[in-house]
Amino acid sequence: MKGDTIPDQHHVARLCDNKHIDGGFIQATAFMLRSGEESLSVNWLEFLNCSCRESEIDELRNTYSRKLKLGAKAKIAVLTVGEVREKVLTESPDRRNLKALHDPQYGTVNDPSHSGIYNLKHDDELIAELILETVQETYPTRK
Amino acid sequence: MPEASTAYGDKFIDYYSAGRQPHPGVWSPRDIQNYCESYIPERKYVTSVNTENSEVYTRGWPDKKDPFTQADLLDSEEDRIQQLIQIQQLIYQIKTSPIILYRERIANRLVTLFNDAKEEDFANLGIVVGSLRNFHNFFQLHTDLKCATISLTPDNNIYASWRVDQKKVFSVLFLPNGDTRFVIFKPNDLHPERQIRISGTTTTDMLKAEVAPHGVWDWISE
Repeated sequence: MKGDTIPDQHHVARLCDNKHIDGGFIQATAFMLRSGEESLSVNWLEFLNCSCRESEIDELRNTYSRKLKLGAKAKIAVLTVGEVREKVLTESPDRRNLKALHDPQYGTVNDPSHSGIYNLKHDDELIAELILETVQETYPTRK
Repeated sequence: MPEASTAYGDKFIDYYSAGRQPHPGVWSPRDIQNYCESYIPERKYVTSVNTENSEVYTRGWPDKKDPFTQADLLDSEEDRIQQLIQIQQLIYQIKTSPIILYRERIANRLVTLFNDAKEEDFANLGIVVGSLRNFHNFFQLHTDLKCATISLTPDNNIYASWRVDQKKVFSVLFLPNGDTRFVIFKPNDLHPERQIRISGTTTTDMLKAEVAPHGVWDWISE
């Protein structure tokens, strides 16, 4: 349900577009907000209720391909919510308390697992670098 | 829509159709000039009458009848073209600068990023020209820099990172106004399991003086 807090042990995926990838590696810019954005868009993997990670990623690939034009080098980064929150809380200068909240999107393309990481600001390069260090797995957006 | 592009520094940036591009494989100020002159934006203003006797704009400015607004649109289109030319010139200057180490690799990377950003959103300019100018100035000022990883922020400003040993990170965001925001992660010498994290804002010409006391230049320069 919209506004639900995603449990710390759960996982979220972030779509990292071409311009955030160099040499096949995701860069910190993938975890920065665009002007006007309130939260960092992610997808709540456990919400998809799939049997395994690969199925979750396949599901996201389908959703992303219907919503967006995916770059050939784009990747999906998987993060554990609690690890991101703990890392940023303990290592950011202002002990930032991030929140991961469910924010389903319905419209032309439904994206029921869509969620957001809140409490980021637009000049948070240091926090983006910290989040980058918590990336657990990466997957190509195209099989 | 842009054509599929090959992102190499010696190729022209794809923006308009292939027919409007200068000679492939050559990327010089003359080409840029020719390219600019050959570009004539769609400004035909053709009207027809439909069965309800209302005007239909089949080409050109949709639904804009105020001549001042049309002039504004013309101006903004000219601005776009000028900014695109500046982007191309700056990348060309980097590519041909005798003093920038890894100039070829950096220029190729910038062209790739430009095309990636255009692919994501055709309407944007690819790279913010002020950020690119700032980045170019930084590399002109400091000619001993190792090759950085380069990416674009969501707002298409340039972000360069140098990573060493997984424990040392120096990243710089080049803002369009000549400022930079930087991040340093480095090991704490007294507590090796801990990390020192520093961030700040300064002008590009002061960046080295600001970060050098933290040992950054030792690991990002050759």
